[in-house]
Amino acid sequence: MLTTMIVVTAVAVATTQQSSADRPATLPAWMRSQTARHIDYRRGSDNWAILGLEPFARDMFATGVGHAMAYEALATGHSASLETEVFDRINTVLKNPPLQPVDEYAVSPTFSRRYFALEQVFEWSHTLHFQTIDVLMHPGWSDQRKDEEIEKLWKIYSAQPYALSGLPMNMEYLDGFEFSGEFRTRYPKVNALFWGYHWLQTVNYDMFYRVPRNTFASQYEVIGDRYHTTELYNTRREFMPMTAETSPRFAKRFPEIANSFDNLHMLHDNVNDILAAPGLSQGEKQREIELAIWRVLATTHIGETAGEGQPVSLHDHRYSMGMPGMGMMKGSDEEVMYMPGMGWMNMSECGHCSMSLSQNANAGATVTADGWTMAVRCALCARDMAAQTLGRAIIRSATENPDQMLVLISDELGNWTSNIPTVVFLEYMDEHPSCNRWSKAFSSLDAFHAYLRERPEYAGAEPLTLEEWASRNGGEPETYKRIDRPSPYQRSREGQP
Amino acid sequence: MKNIIKTISIFMIALGAIFTPTIAGAHDADCPYCKLKLVQNTDAMDNEVVVKFGNKKIEYRCMFCVFADQHKFVGDVVVYAPSEKVGEPIIVKRTSGQWTAPAGTVFLNAFTSHQQCAGLSRAFTSRAAFDNYARRNNVSNPKPLTLAQFMQAVKEALAD
Repeated sequence: MLTTMIVVTAVAVATTQQSSADRPATLPAWMRSQTARHIDYRRGSDNWAILGLEPFARDMFATGVGHAMAYEALATGHSASLETEVFDRINTVLKNPPLQPVDEYAVSPTFSRRYFALEQVFEWSHTLHFQTIDVLMHPGWSDQRKDEEIEKLWKIYSAQPYALSGLPMNMEYLDGFEFSGEFRTRYPKVNALFWGYHWLQTVNYDMFYRVPRNTFASQYEVIGDRYHTTELYNTRREFMPMTAETSPRFAKRFPEIANSFDNLHMLHDNVNDILAAPGLSQGEKQREIELAIWRVLATTHIGETAGEGQPVSLHDHRYSMGMPGMGMMKGSDEEVMYMPGMGWMNMSECGHCSMSLSQNANAGATVTADGWTMAVRCALCARDMAAQTLGRAIIRSATENPDQMLVLISDELGNWTSNIPTVVFLEYMDEHPSCNRWSKAFSSLDAFHAYLRERPEYAGAEPLTLEEWASRNGGEPETYKRIDRPSPYQRSREGQP
Repeated sequence: MKNIIKTISIFMIALGAIFTPTIAGAHDADCPYCKLKLVQNTDAMDNEVVVKFGNKKIEYRCMFCVFADQHKFVGDVVVYAPSEKVGEPIIVKRTSGQWTAPAGTVFLNAFTSHQQCAGLSRAFTSRAAFDNYARRNNVSNPKPLTLAQFMQAVKEALAD
């Protein structure tokens, strides 16, 4: 009932205005080369650190199988069974994920032979996905070392001609071709699987980034459950998941990587739509897929700069204020963007109190709930935002110690458990513009008192235990600014209960 | 004397502000059930339907959406249903699985599209208030429902 009540329509967007400059005179030579190419997996002690969290690793391995099975069906003329037999087959794999990565060439031989340049792009970008995760999950490296290693990975990735651009790209433009929306309209269940994989492949970065290793399993218990019960089957999602939407801390720290993942996922959507488009011949599909690759390659955008570009064009690299790790979305401008499930947001402001977020990476918190992850300004904002959302939630909050992130996980009732048993909170209700000073988490009572000694204005404030803090609610902050605009996405069948 | 009265008045207003429960939440989330934009309170009419259980405080667009989503609530539940009186929600409760509403509460459930649900799936403190609302808003064929009838109507709509 619920799934039929509101169904996202075919995104019948006006076809993007394209100029001749949007089509190259010649494609890069490597795209037509018949030489065998193999992807090198950089050797290092981080290799396969992902296996340290087996349920997550297996789910990630299964995403590759799911992609490949769907593509092979499309390439071999079995699209009629995509929503039935193929969906069931993929779903069986997702419910019984493999213990190790599966060679996608073996699952989709026809597709891989026919679109070998595309496979090259996919495999190289998927390697970046996995290696970034490996670094973040490395058991021995410091956060600083991990940052350095990820920067190295990006350099290695970018050095290849089949690397995707790390610039933010305009998603309205990239999703505005004649064929756009064909796949999600014709095959909503399989499209939901694709967007579910992409949700998992992007939500994980904030789960690992600068977060204590001993919280990975408990966080994935929540994330994995959401993935398996909701995200894989969410046919109502309005647009593909964006990295900054699910991992804002990581996207802010590594905007190029976040953008490249979004560009990769948009390429997946383009390819799906082209393969599903009924009016295209085999040759035209081949050509459109090559163009789709070309559009998002790093080499197509050499010399261009993040933050600049002609609006809603191939070379539009503007981004919304505060989030360089995400290109412009439909309807967004430099100030605000629309996030499915959350409405209109300003990414440089707290999602709860609308005050400016700190530029300091070791300040504030994020809330993960209901499929989204939002940056907030203080512990109170995080708690109250989670309390206003159905289901379990994760808060990742700064403490006084930059090396000790607090990870709180709540049950369906909003009862929290903490990775720091000695955690205490300051909540000295004052005006919201200063909430980041009077609402804070501390790793110990000593740290709490040390902070109060520096802030005599809070003298007399009592430290709150986790339970005391969890039962509070600050109501609607006086600073909250409502952005009253309609959703930029069209919906239909809202008539029925 | 005038000053004393003025001071007392200001004090009473301040006291009222302190003790008026702030029920609504902040961010602009969609209704968890119908996924449409939540309708905010206005000076003339309350619209925010708030469900409270445990430490959760979830906002819905209408009473239908609350009851359609009730399987997601854990344990005992309190629903602050906007009534015809601004600032005076009707408290509907689920205790040990049993739903109750104050005596005399009348429900309206007359929407055909969720676009209209916030205005046409509501609770009222009395039959007179229900009739008055239906008349003022030109509700066609308004049918006053008890809580049990309202819950049955939701059940039947979901079964369709």
